[in-house]
Amino acid sequence: MLNVLILGVGQCGNRILDAINKEAFGGGGAANLAKYYLRPKFPSRVETLAINTAINDLKELRFTTAKDRLHVPNLHGVGANRNVGKQAFMDNRDVIMGEIEKRGDFDIAFVITSTSGGTGSSFTPLLINELKRQYKDITVVTVAVLPAREEGSIYLQNAAFCMRELMEVEAEGIILADNQYMKRFSGDIASAYDKINNMIAKRLLFLIESLDSEMLSVTDLGDFKTVMNGGLRIGTMGFYQADSKNLSIRDAIENSLKPVNLLYPANVGDDAARAMIIIQGSREHLDVDEITKEVERLTASAGHVFKGIVVKKGNPKVLSVFTVASAPELESIYAQAARGMQDEKEKRCRARKQLDDAFAHIEDLEEIY
Amino acid sequence: MQRPIYLPCLVYLLFSILLMQAAHAKEATDNSDEVTFKDYTLNIGDRIDLGDYQMELIEIQSVRDGLVVMRTSKVGGSLDEQRALLLDSPNNFDGGAENKGITITVADIFDEQSAKVRIEYSQSLGSPRKHASERPALALDKPELFVQKSFERNQMSVGDAVKVTITVKNTGTGQALAIKAEDIPPLPEFTYVAGYPPKIKETIDPGQSDSAVYVMNAVKEGSIRVPAMMVSYTDVKKNAKSNSSEPFNILISPKSKADLAIKLASSGPLALDGESMLNISISNLGTASASRIEVDGTVVPSEGLQVTGLEKSFFEIMPGAEVNYSASLRGQKAGNYIIHLKVNYDGGDGSVIREGTGEVVVLEREYKYQYLLLIIPIAIIIAWMYRRYREYKY
Ligand SMILES: Nc1nc2c(ncn2[C@@H]2O[C@H](COP(=O)(O)OP(=O)(O)OP(=O)(O)O)[C@@H](O)[C@H]2O)c(=O)[nH]1
Ligand SMILES: [Mg+2]
Repeated sequence: MLNVLILGVGQCGNRILDAINKEAFGGGGAANLAKYYLRPKFPSRVETLAINTAINDLKELRFTTAKDRLHVPNLHGVGANRNVGKQAFMDNRDVIMGEIEKRGDFDIAFVITSTSGGTGSSFTPLLINELKRQYKDITVVTVAVLPAREEGSIYLQNAAFCMRELMEVEAEGIILADNQYMKRFSGDIASAYDKINNMIAKRLLFLIESLDSEMLSVTDLGDFKTVMNGGLRIGTMGFYQADSKNLSIRDAIENSLKPVNLLYPANVGDDAARAMIIIQGSREHLDVDEITKEVERLTASAGHVFKGIVVKKGNPKVLSVFTVASAPELESIYAQAARGMQDEKEKRCRARKQLDDAFAHIEDLEEIY
Repeated sequence: MQRPIYLPCLVYLLFSILLMQAAHAKEATDNSDEVTFKDYTLNIGDRIDLGDYQMELIEIQSVRDGLVVMRTSKVGGSLDEQRALLLDSPNNFDGGAENKGITITVADIFDEQSAKVRIEYSQSLGSPRKHASERPALALDKPELFVQKSFERNQMSVGDAVKVTITVKNTGTGQALAIKAEDIPPLPEFTYVAGYPPKIKETIDPGQSDSAVYVMNAVKEGSIRVPAMMVSYTDVKKNAKSNSSEPFNILISPKSKADLAIKLASSGPLALDGESMLNISISNLGTASASRIEVDGTVVPSEGLQVTGLEKSFFEIMPGAEVNYSASLRGQKAGNYIIHLKVNYDGGDGSVIREGTGEVVVLEREYKYQYLLLIIPIAIIIAWMYRRYREYKY
């Protein structure tokens, strides 16, 4: 059995973590009541911890137990300032790490955060370093949420710097989710967040389950690490559940890789470096020949494709995880962030100059009382 | 000493009585040549002397047939004849009174001992004189039966056997013949068992007795008058007679029986799942003891009340005695239950069944417990949910 640690850092990370806990109660409306009489049901031994500097963000959670919410005290919050955030982490490192160590040993840790906020984006790289130092053999995968582009230059800037730091740390890889890309699911931003969070939660639990189950064709933590190490070590996840109208396993695999089913806009055919296809469903739907053919077809474009088959009653479900060799969307964020920063700098200079000009009016004057 | 003075007086008195009698006899005669008559009442052995004639009443041969035997003789032995004389028919001796003889007519027969006799004679023979028999009047053959009918007991109970004794005793002097005892058949209160009809000897000598016994069973209670019993018989001379016994009363009381009464007493309503006792008492109100008592019980409805120890048996319960025992009850379902007890015993007259019932109420579960039943789980659920709430409350 895998020992899994899931950390949600910052408001975004907390809320996705809460969605995971909700999913473990069965998800949907039933989970609201289920938490009063059930225990969350995880496929493996899963420990969750929500970390935040903002106590209100922690209070907002509903499916995460109080003891799994860690408030990192910082007098005024971090205010999207990553430097303040880093300082806060360093000041409270022992408390944070102590809280994690209390939860025992782990094989894999998922650290979920937004890249654009203050707390999550600054804590996560440092936290990953600490985890790597603390747990020698741990596999650490970051689940990073990119901001919507119109959220502002500071968010973009934070995302750019955060991503750079995340790529520098020793983590096994990053799974990206893009708010910009996914906000199309819903008109208002709050329900779009909920939807995005649920999608991420579902996929992560599916992944954990498949890493820890008796598969027909085995994929394990090692395979997952190999996939995450491919390309830029940046990847994303696609998911598709076949309906009764079309139970074809080939179509299901293909659909799971279609852009609309991805968390981040990537082109599998062009960009994929390594991939892992996990298929779940009733035995009668799982035609191994078909699966093999489809996987072979994928291998032609992506370097290596692992496949895992889990026999479980129900229509076929396919989770695809892949890393990319190039990330054009990310590059555009950097460009935008740089532009934003440049604009900001110029604006600041211009304002300074205007202010200086204004000051010039009183340059030779003394206060008269 | 005054006796020398009284004696001559007594002699004179006797003499004058004799004179008066002679004067009376003389009245019937007119003159010495004429035939006259005289009536005498004679007992057996009495004799009339007239001249040389002697006439003696020997025997009343039959009162019914009017036959009297007389012996007529003449001093010197020229006449000595014993002849049976028929009532009211004149009998001539020596040619009869017309011919200087005598004529004897039996005018009346009083009984076996005496008769009235008319002597006709010629006055020339003188006047007749009667000689009373010197021997006492001979005990004649006259039977007299004393009848007695008796019950062994004058008080008995239905079902008892009773012995009836009939005794016939000849207290007379003559043999009783052709004895017929007529006993009225057993009354409706009895059934006859053996010995009926009673048989009495046909002949009983004086001083002897005979008896017969029969046995009856009393079958009906009541006070009964046992009617007289009659015995008819004749004497040697076929004279019919009859005698009866005295009627008397007897009392037949109801049969003595055991009479068991059953009482069931439960100690109030029973709580659901509670236990209690049912006290059972069986008393013998009868006059006989009950034996082989078997108690059996049923509960209606049969489900919901568990009763143990209802069945019981006793060897004997004496009259007036009481036995007690108890059965244990356990209520399993609320409701009213009837316990039927059936007591089977031998009451002295075959087996008898008596029944008794008792009611046992099993109460509904008390409400406070019911509330608890609800409150406890609700409290547990609330406590649990509150714990969970606290667990998720930050
Ligand atoms: N997918 C998703 N994104 C979210 C959610 N909440 C916030 N975000 C994104 O996260 C970014 C803001 O980062 P937060 O996680 O709120 O910031 P933080 O880490 O709490 O840091 P500070 O609040 O600045 O201390 C924005 O780009 C939001 O679009 C959410 O529930 N789901
Ligand atoms: Mg925040």
